[in-house]
Amino acid sequence: MLKFFSIVMRNKKATAGMLIVLAYIALALAAPLITSHDPAKRVARPHQAPSVEHVMGSTRMGRDVYTQFVWGTRTSLMVGFSAGLIVTVIGTLIGVTAGYFGGVIDESLNFITNIALVIPQLPLLLVLAAFIGKSDPFMIALIIGLTSWAWGARVTRAQTLTLRRREFVEASEQIGEPSWRIICIELMPNLLSIIGFNFIGSVVYTIITQATLEFLGLGDPLAVSWGNMLYNAQTSSAITVGAWWEMFAPCFAIVTIGIGLSLLNFGVDEISNPRLRTLGAINKAVKAQKKFDRSYKSAKGAAS
Amino acid sequence: MSFIIRRIMFYLVAFLVAATINFLLPRLMPGNPIDIMFANAGNSLPPEAKKALAETFGFVERPLIEEYFIYLKSVFSWDFGVSIKKYPLTVMDVLMQALPWTLFLAGTSVILAFCIGSLLGIYAAWKRGGSFDSVISPSALAVQSVPALVIGITTLYIFGLVLEVLPTSYAYDPSIDPGFTWEYLSSVFYHALMPIGTLAFVSIGGYLITMRNNMIGQLGEEHVVMGHAKGLSDKRVRYNYAARNALLPSMTAFALSLGSVMGGSLIIEIVFNYPGLGNILFQGIIARDYPLIQGQLIIMTLAMLTANLLIDFIYIFLDPRLRKA
Repeated sequence: MLKFFSIVMRNKKATAGMLIVLAYIALALAAPLITSHDPAKRVARPHQAPSVEHVMGSTRMGRDVYTQFVWGTRTSLMVGFSAGLIVTVIGTLIGVTAGYFGGVIDESLNFITNIALVIPQLPLLLVLAAFIGKSDPFMIALIIGLTSWAWGARVTRAQTLTLRRREFVEASEQIGEPSWRIICIELMPNLLSIIGFNFIGSVVYTIITQATLEFLGLGDPLAVSWGNMLYNAQTSSAITVGAWWEMFAPCFAIVTIGIGLSLLNFGVDEISNPRLRTLGAINKAVKAQKKFDRSYKSAKGAAS
Repeated sequence: MSFIIRRIMFYLVAFLVAATINFLLPRLMPGNPIDIMFANAGNSLPPEAKKALAETFGFVERPLIEEYFIYLKSVFSWDFGVSIKKYPLTVMDVLMQALPWTLFLAGTSVILAFCIGSLLGIYAAWKRGGSFDSVISPSALAVQSVPALVIGITTLYIFGLVLEVLPTSYAYDPSIDPGFTWEYLSSVFYHALMPIGTLAFVSIGGYLITMRNNMIGQLGEEHVVMGHAKGLSDKRVRYNYAARNALLPSMTAFALSLGSVMGGSLIIEIVFNYPGLGNILFQGIIARDYPLIQGQLIIMTLAMLTANLLIDFIYIFLDPRLRKA
């Protein structure tokens, strides 16, 4: 774990992302300590602008926006991480199995993956959520997890296919290692960065999609979450009556957690794939080279 | 040619899967789904609508497999049942009124975003490490993770309500009669400006990054080095040597992103009160209009599959290897 942090700290993007994500996790864990109201109770007059007493104002229903924002963080993170876990487990299982065993297994799994990719996600989720009825956050996590694994499976399969032809895998096969050992010991460590990328990407996707489903009125209206905040703001036409703060808090939350997780993701991707690095790293290399040349020249000058 | 036939067969299966989900879901619900739909509708529906609805969805006392074929038959004859919310109208009628607006929004913005994003990506990769690249690439990453919903609400607030320069709802000024007149078309354009702009803005970042990364990979290849060595102009090497090859993986990303663009379009329509599928759907969800919600899955899947087929044709144009097969 410590090693992971020290790797992350090497990249500016990853560090920034890491800090944002950690801040939200801290917010979610400390929710009962830093809020004094009940997120679902009427504690103020309707549509009060932000003030000292209600830092982010109040909603049409007289609820404290700040309290809802903090408790909503809990819901969003839990839904995001649990759906991300489901997506990653299914995606990795299908991807590795298809890529490693090949043949008919690969063809059929790949066929299923492609079909799952081509059916539009949001309409499918709408149908599922509508039939399930008032879906609580965990039901939403479950249906997002079960319908969004295809992209991860595809990427994992592609990577497994290229790894499969490497010498070290072929060598392990020749000495008669069982498949489970090749998959777990030889392939998995090399797939870790793709699996991690898939996981973080799925968390972002889930947080946004959950908010979208709830915004559309498909969630459980009693749950406290960013999506329900948006739904209530939309149905009470908060924007049109000028109560921008009711919309602002959940929007801000979704955007910052999304940016934080994406920065972390792309930062980690850059660490593992140096070709993607931008200006900073290249400039650093150029400077280092120049410094080396100068000291080399001066060393030569001193010698002659 | 066999490539296209294989793809069409594949799309047919995908379509069947979507239809099967629609068939199975109401049957997994406890109780009789038609009764539940009717209980939700209150007493706005006459009894004959109930019978028609039951027949469309194959709810007749037969073995499951026969019910399935009855349902498939109604899907393939474009009969998705009657809408509960807008009763005398069928689901097909309701959706068909809204679909052109959604296709207009999603289509225009996705093409716009893909062209702008890819061109910027090509340029950013060509001048990798330059000032343009180091500003645009990180900002593209940041924009990419902002959902359409948030950008939509923000633009609506700024341009529609604070500055009051752009209309906040409808597809055209309701006082103008629809027709092929300059006044009508300019009103449509004016009303579409904000939704299309928002949708395009959301997806530009993704295309930019994909193109930039593919392009950087291509620039290291030998054929690009050879292009330079032959003394070709930078422009020719950039577009005909590197970008043309980098475009292939980009097209795959483009095809995969269509679904999320359609999803984004649904959201944007609700935010901007635009009369497309999203808006119809929002009303349908509030009224628990199950046939309507199911109908949109079929329609959206069809739109998605058609777009994918078009992309397959573009593939054949871009990748000569596929033409031989």
